[in-house]
Amino acid sequence: MNAVIAASGLGKAYRRTWALRDCTLAIPEGHVVGLVGPNGAGKTTLLRLATGMLTPTRGTVSVLGQRPAAGPAQLARVGFVAQDTPIYSRMTVADHLRLGAWLNPGWDDHLARQRISQLALNPKQRAGSLSGGQRAQLALTLALAKRPGLLILDEPVASLDPLARREFLQGLMEAVAGQGLSVLLSSHLVADLERVCDYLVVLVASRVRVAGEVSDLLASHHRLSGPRRDPGTLPAGQEIITESHTDKQSNLLVRTDGPVLDPAWAVKPVSLEDLVLAYMSRARDDGQAKPQQLKVAS
Amino acid sequence: MIRLSMLQLRVQAITAAVALIAFAVLLAATGPHLASLYAASGLRGCQPASCSQRASSFLQQVNSTGPYATVDLLSIIIIALTPAITGLFWGAPLLARELETGTFALAWSQSVTRARWLAVKLTVGGLAAMAVTEALSLLFAWWAAPLSRAAGLGGSGNGLAMSQFNPLAFVTHGITPLGYAAFAFALGVTAGALIQRTIPAMAVTLAIFAALQIAMPLWVRPNLFPASHTTVSITSDTTLNLYTTDSPHTFTFTLATDGSLAGQPGAWIRSSGAADAAGHPVSTVVPSACSPAASSSGPGAALANCLTSRGIRIAVTYQPASRYWPLQWTETGIYLVLSLALAGYCFRRLSRLS
Repeated sequence: MNAVIAASGLGKAYRRTWALRDCTLAIPEGHVVGLVGPNGAGKTTLLRLATGMLTPTRGTVSVLGQRPAAGPAQLARVGFVAQDTPIYSRMTVADHLRLGAWLNPGWDDHLARQRISQLALNPKQRAGSLSGGQRAQLALTLALAKRPGLLILDEPVASLDPLARREFLQGLMEAVAGQGLSVLLSSHLVADLERVCDYLVVLVASRVRVAGEVSDLLASHHRLSGPRRDPGTLPAGQEIITESHTDKQSNLLVRTDGPVLDPAWAVKPVSLEDLVLAYMSRARDDGQAKPQQLKVAS
Repeated sequence: MIRLSMLQLRVQAITAAVALIAFAVLLAATGPHLASLYAASGLRGCQPASCSQRASSFLQQVNSTGPYATVDLLSIIIIALTPAITGLFWGAPLLARELETGTFALAWSQSVTRARWLAVKLTVGGLAAMAVTEALSLLFAWWAAPLSRAAGLGGSGNGLAMSQFNPLAFVTHGITPLGYAAFAFALGVTAGALIQRTIPAMAVTLAIFAALQIAMPLWVRPNLFPASHTTVSITSDTTLNLYTTDSPHTFTFTLATDGSLAGQPGAWIRSSGAADAAGHPVSTVVPSACSPAASSSGPGAALANCLTSRGIRIAVTYQPASRYWPLQWTETGIYLVLSLALAGYCFRRLSRLS
């Protein structure tokens, strides 16, 4: 498997606080990967480590087989749209395209101009006076026109209204279809990712909780409901992600590669949102249990 | 990358160009007439005996006619302030604004390494700041050439005839403006990298640069080379500053610093005072016989004779005029080395900014 991003024991500390810790991850190429997790899970830190904006405190990360930002050649292969889509507010749209052309040997000027005219952006307009959606589109244009092998976007649509959000993701998908590049984008909203991603990574409290192709994840997770029973009696190979019980009934979300054969269960498919929420709440419960263990240990 | 730094410096460059042109126009409008005044003064090819007299009257004429005194003072202020201005408005925002607005993430995700990005930005901005400051200084040196020549011939005339070692003259002439411009720029960039906010970085840059520009002439420049010492006798031509002391009928004196030291024209007089015949300094003079009639102005022949007859001379500590260029080179060198050290720190800081 060719990994676009491979991280091993990756950690980043600011002074004494760990923003990301023990992150091990391998993302295969050729996917549109959604990185989802609650705020503060370490998504931005992970993406900044992957783009070389940050250097790891511990562990290693390699992107397209090289250390991030190892040199001009590596930088040329990774496009990055940072959080809040920063652009130079005093420079015009045309200036931004010029900047891209000057600083990137693989710059596709035709593509850049085509996108700008499709978006009906005025090249002479100052970037500072663009709307949030236009600004994000300009940042995406810069990242796409350098013709990267991997495009990384950090919460690109978080601050956009629903229409701009849809247009941005549409533009992204068109570019992906046209250029055949791998994409890694983060969001704390599953709904944003559901439409565009075919691979999902759930990151909670800096740990990867589940990762895989969306179709596989949906096929292997089931919501079971039936008469109350002890979770310990489930057959091997069925892993409980979340459970809730009333006096008479049990509701489970399980992961299993095989079919659920027990006729006592009513089996329902899960949505991507349910699946992500299940892993998030499980991680939260783990996290709550942890401090107590640490106390005993110390 | 060079083109990007120039694009980003566009507003500053236009401002600097406009200021430079305005300054050049001001000097070009007044310079030729100043030169014609000099030509008419007969100073060119004057006999040594009459030179200083003629030079003084030329300077007084310049002082009283036209805007020359104002232009002279204005130019000195502008040139002395330019390094601070470029440090504040070019240096401090260079990194601070990128870090403040998050655009560094855009810049650093292009196919250019962070080190190269910084190297080009530092080089383009630093060289531009140095070029602008030195251009102003050279224009002014051209304009003020008649005044400098008159001062060199021993003319005195208020602020127009500054010694080349006068702190204001020293920092606006020669090559020192290059050093100040480079240093103030590097200081601004470093403050921006550390503080990561433009306005506070500007404030810190101004504070540090101003403190250094005050400390330099007071404590550093005089001690860059060991001073020379001499003892000269008092003549009726010697200009003295007289100071009365606490006890009655005693006084002390120093050589007036704008008075030329006999045999050392253009020297930078650091300190002077009364000395006995052997050359040892004496703290006060008890001149019951030589009580100065006029307390402030020149000693007059009577006082000079009286002091000389009692064996009192003047001990002078000074830097000879020949030290001017070594001092210029040394001070500029110090500032350039400091600038490079700051630039080096910026590279380290930027690679750790993560």
